Amino acid sequence: MMTRINQLPTLRVDPTKKVVFDYKGKDYVGAHGDTVATALYYNDVRIFGRSLKYHRPRGLYSLDGECSNTCMEIDGIPNVRTENTLVKQGMKVKEQNVKGSAENDMMGFIDKLDFMMPAGFYYKTMHKPASIWPVAMKQIRKAAGLGVLSPDFEMPGKFDQIFPSADVVVIGGGPAGMSAALASADKGLRVIIMESRPWLGGFFDYRTFDYRDENYKNNKQLYSRARELASKVESHANIRVFTHTSVVGTYTNNLVTGFQIGKDNDKFTERYIEIRANAVVVATGCIERPLIFENNERPGVMQVGCVHRLARTYGILAGERAVFSVGHDLGLEAAIDLFDLGMKILCVADVREDGQNPHLMIELAKRNIPYLKGWVAAEAKGGKRVKGVVMTTLDGTISRDFDCDLIVASAGFTPLNGPLTLAHAKLRYDSHTNFFVADKMPEKTHAAGRMLGLEDSLSIEASGVIAGLKAALDCKLMKESYGNSDVDALKSEIDATVAKQKELPGPARGSKFVTAPVKGRKSFICFDEDTTIKNIRQAIEMGFDVPELIKRFTSAGTGPGQGGIPGHNLPLYVAKYLAASGAPPKPTTVRAPLVPTLIATYAGSKHIMMKRTPMDDMQRADGGVFRKIGVWERARYFSDDFSCKKEIENVRNNVGMLDGSTLGKFRIHGPDALKVLQRVYVSDMSKVKLGRVKYSAMCNDDGCVIDDGVVIKLAENDYYFTTSTARAGATIEWLRYHTRFDGWDFYVVNLTDSMGVINLSGPNARKVLQKITSEDVSNSAFAFSGYKEFMVKDTIPVKAMRLGFVGELSYEFHVPSSYMVSLWNMLKDAGKEFNIQNFGVEAQNVLRMEKCHIILGQESEQRTNLLDLGLGFLWDRTKKDAKTVGAVALRQAENDPTRFRLVGFEMENNGRAARDGALIVDDKVRGYVCTARDSFTLNKAVGMALVESHLAKVGTRLEIFEDECGGERIYGTVVPMPFYDPDGTRMKS
Amino acid sequence: MVEIKRYSPVAFKVSPKRVEVRDNWTVVLEYDGEGQGANYLVDLSHITRFDVQSSNLDAIKPFGVTIPQGLCESNLQDGLLINRMNGIQASIFCLSGKKPEMPSESSYTETTEVGMCMAIFGKNVFSITEKLTSLDFMDPAKKTPFLYQGPMSHIPCQIITLSRDGEKCGIIFTASRGYGKDMTHAIMDAGAEFGVKPAGEDKFKSWLGSL
Repeated sequence: MMTRINQLPTLRVDPTKKVVFDYKGKDYVGAHGDTVATALYYNDVRIFGRSLKYHRPRGLYSLDGECSNTCMEIDGIPNVRTENTLVKQGMKVKEQNVKGSAENDMMGFIDKLDFMMPAGFYYKTMHKPASIWPVAMKQIRKAAGLGVLSPDFEMPGKFDQIFPSADVVVIGGGPAGMSAALASADKGLRVIIMESRPWLGGFFDYRTFDYRDENYKNNKQLYSRARELASKVESHANIRVFTHTSVVGTYTNNLVTGFQIGKDNDKFTERYIEIRANAVVVATGCIERPLIFENNERPGVMQVGCVHRLARTYGILAGERAVFSVGHDLGLEAAIDLFDLGMKILCVADVREDGQNPHLMIELAKRNIPYLKGWVAAEAKGGKRVKGVVMTTLDGTISRDFDCDLIVASAGFTPLNGPLTLAHAKLRYDSHTNFFVADKMPEKTHAAGRMLGLEDSLSIEASGVIAGLKAALDCKLMKESYGNSDVDALKSEIDATVAKQKELPGPARGSKFVTAPVKGRKSFICFDEDTTIKNIRQAIEMGFDVPELIKRFTSAGTGPGQGGIPGHNLPLYVAKYLAASGAPPKPTTVRAPLVPTLIATYAGSKHIMMKRTPMDDMQRADGGVFRKIGVWERARYFSDDFSCKKEIENVRNNVGMLDGSTLGKFRIHGPDALKVLQRVYVSDMSKVKLGRVKYSAMCNDDGCVIDDGVVIKLAENDYYFTTSTARAGATIEWLRYHTRFDGWDFYVVNLTDSMGVINLSGPNARKVLQKITSEDVSNSAFAFSGYKEFMVKDTIPVKAMRLGFVGELSYEFHVPSSYMVSLWNMLKDAGKEFNIQNFGVEAQNVLRMEKCHIILGQESEQRTNLLDLGLGFLWDRTKKDAKTVGAVALRQAENDPTRFRLVGFEMENNGRAARDGALIVDDKVRGYVCTARDSFTLNKAVGMALVESHLAKVGTRLEIFEDECGGERIYGTVVPMPFYDPDGTRMKS
Repeated sequence: MVEIKRYSPVAFKVSPKRVEVRDNWTVVLEYDGEGQGANYLVDLSHITRFDVQSSNLDAIKPFGVTIPQGLCESNLQDGLLINRMNGIQASIFCLSGKKPEMPSESSYTETTEVGMCMAIFGKNVFSITEKLTSLDFMDPAKKTPFLYQGPMSHIPCQIITLSRDGEKCGIIFTASRGYGKDMTHAIMDAGAEFGVKPAGEDKFKSWLGSL
């Protein structure tokens, strides 16, 4: 265990609060505020895991989870970014992707076989002969990959989601982001600020020694300034702060998504956040651009920010003897500060020949820290961890060896412009900052801070203020409610702030792309995918000349770090290697999620939102087996026998009840209601008579059937109609769309949920009905296709229809949903003497299939028209003014011999029913089976199929191909439809 | 003998303390353990609602109350809440609990049965709703009461914000009746961390009276 520096004012850990956690079965102790990674480091753990391909040892590098080096298994969850995860009491931490241990990994030998795995070797090997691939794939999968997750693993914790609204979203809680938030909030706008670390402060937060201290009154140190800003932000009534919140996506119309990791007292483990704002400020700052040299990812090689924050934020000195190889002033500042904290700095090498801040040079000299200008690290020495380094001049002519346990390496900075590019900003390479900068910003999006190349603290804050004011202006221009009176004043304020900022230092010159003069066999450009610069060269030499393609071919940047490590170096290296072409560096594509996100977080609280009919509870109590059907849950079966034999036989021979409440139901009224019906239905709806039910269908413009149902006339230009369950949600739009140019006066009300539907069917149905009503329901008084309205027990209003979908004497009762249970119970009570039974959707499906009544979606698909289904009799060709939707197409299709026809068939030799969807074939596909079942009523297997017209003739033999039939076909014969009660005697009597 | 009853699509997992049978609905006036909570959820599915549609909507005064002219504006007067849905359509909620006579004009359709209806009120209402919807209830451009026609827990709803005033914050909303069970579950789950409790109609009336 290391010694922690406990007295630093910048600390974010509380060493007095111990946190005990388990690492590989042993107890370790960290401090409250530690991440898992810092706690392990504090406990002398240096190798956190092994790399994906070569199983190289990996350790701390960025402290921000920019690569998979420190991904571990925590509490059974693999690939957790330990640098971003706070350690908690009792946590169980394991290393991953090792055979043995991270320290002694038996797969480590693969590192020596890199010569066998050039760029794109997956694509070039193991493909010939093809039979090798399945074998090779298994071995590769065993050796590679990171964490392992069991398929039945259940994610612990509570995952939630929020969708807050804001006027301005600020991404990044550093000095620029906080300044922007305050500037917008001070204008009365609602602001949300999102910061990925558990606290606000950004790169001010850990810095005490700064040559720019004189920027602030009383030489206020940067960390102190950060806390001053944070305090203002956190106490501002208009600002909502989300810390430990990573942004994962930004989209058009200022939609920002992210996730927040819960604190100890939060009610969630993680929660998804989706914010719709009016303006966005991106102030995400920079990460460090890795320095590329041999073994540049060896445990003991760390970035400047990592080492500096490890000391200042967590009180841990990363090593005792350090060598710095850097390309920017923050590196020099860190060396000085760490020296003051007790680290021995053997030398500071700087790839820059000039441009260093003179104050820093003086401070280095004061401390006698050797400074090598124009030098760079060439090779890290040591097996599993750093034991030394070879330093060299940039041209490689002179070199020196140092014995050290820490190499602090950083080539420059990379702006975190992912949120900008996701929001469709166009990036270009800026040769001054050496950054990819946004050439054209997305609408109502503003950038601020270090990502613009600013290094001066006052400039950074000023850029934040400007961005915040511009965001405020965006909001005020679009929202009348804020009043436009102060728009001019705001514009003047922006101009004044911009003018003031121009007096401050502008974007700093960025360090050029430098690589050590080495062969690059172990110089890694992407740690996640073990991609070396040698691999990149191989790809270029194979003809790949675009970074995006090289990325795909070599996998560089496709790992969990989401391109954080190679995102900048890859295009710079490619441009340098292809210097002759003169093309500027091109960035690779950035995609959401910008940081790895748990699927559980996206899933959130997992509410299943399904519709349930009024009979739901009762049908479950009656043994209903439910299935999801569209937006509804419906009782499909009422026993374990999914053939539904008893349910079917009960309807055929006795009486049954079906809950049909999911049907779409509508009222259409108004002076032009009939015209609308004439437009969308194929039949002549003027013939709908009071007291009668009219069955008809709707087609789309192609003549394809999209819906069917019944229409009832309630009064003049006042109708009640039903649609199929699936179409109910789209019906009003359908009617409005097809009448949009007519200016007709009509009104539609969706009554789908307001009316429950009971289907009472079977030869005893009339006897049951008669017991609950005094209404004359005899066949003469209430005939087939008749409609009646009556009250049951003077209380329950019922719309009753005499229909016959299942081919028996049937009634359909439409009843207010709240009364549905009561009416159902009355019918059940009345039917007790007949042993009335429930029947479900599957029984109904078989019953209607025996009668050859179609269900849209079952006997039709997108291309099936009215005529194909044999429903041409519904189409009234004489409607003059209606312009019936689909009529033109139907006329064209009328004599088209190439169209499918719906046919009935029975299986040969008492064979079983073909499966729904099975193909009708000869040497080609000729159609498909729509529905087929073993019919207990007919004692044979029958079904309906859509087939090419030449197969539609009765007696034709159909050859049926089923999935996984192994070449064995089954056969059916086309027979007349319907199969059951062809004259309709049963349903009409 | 089957008792004729009307059933709400909403059910809470607590026992009613006081109920009243009204038009065959069993209306819960108070639930066990209701007490003085921070946030309440009340089932109002039994209250009478109407849809009114006309090309000349401004000429219609349902039960003597004016339909607001602005899109998605609402008007709460004498226990009657009227919401302008679009140019030709408004919804009417009879919050007083009394069932008015159905107007004789064909432009009215009773929609009581179409949807579940609930009220959520208390100081954390909008912390609860932001877990369920991206609708911006605190939009300063809107003045209460106002109507949203948008999703809550992914389900299309009519949501009327009646108050954004501290402890009196509250909304009334309707969604398709069939979603009653799952919507109740979603709200109770979202509101658990804020101590949301089911409450009876009395608590609702008391809140409504305070607005």
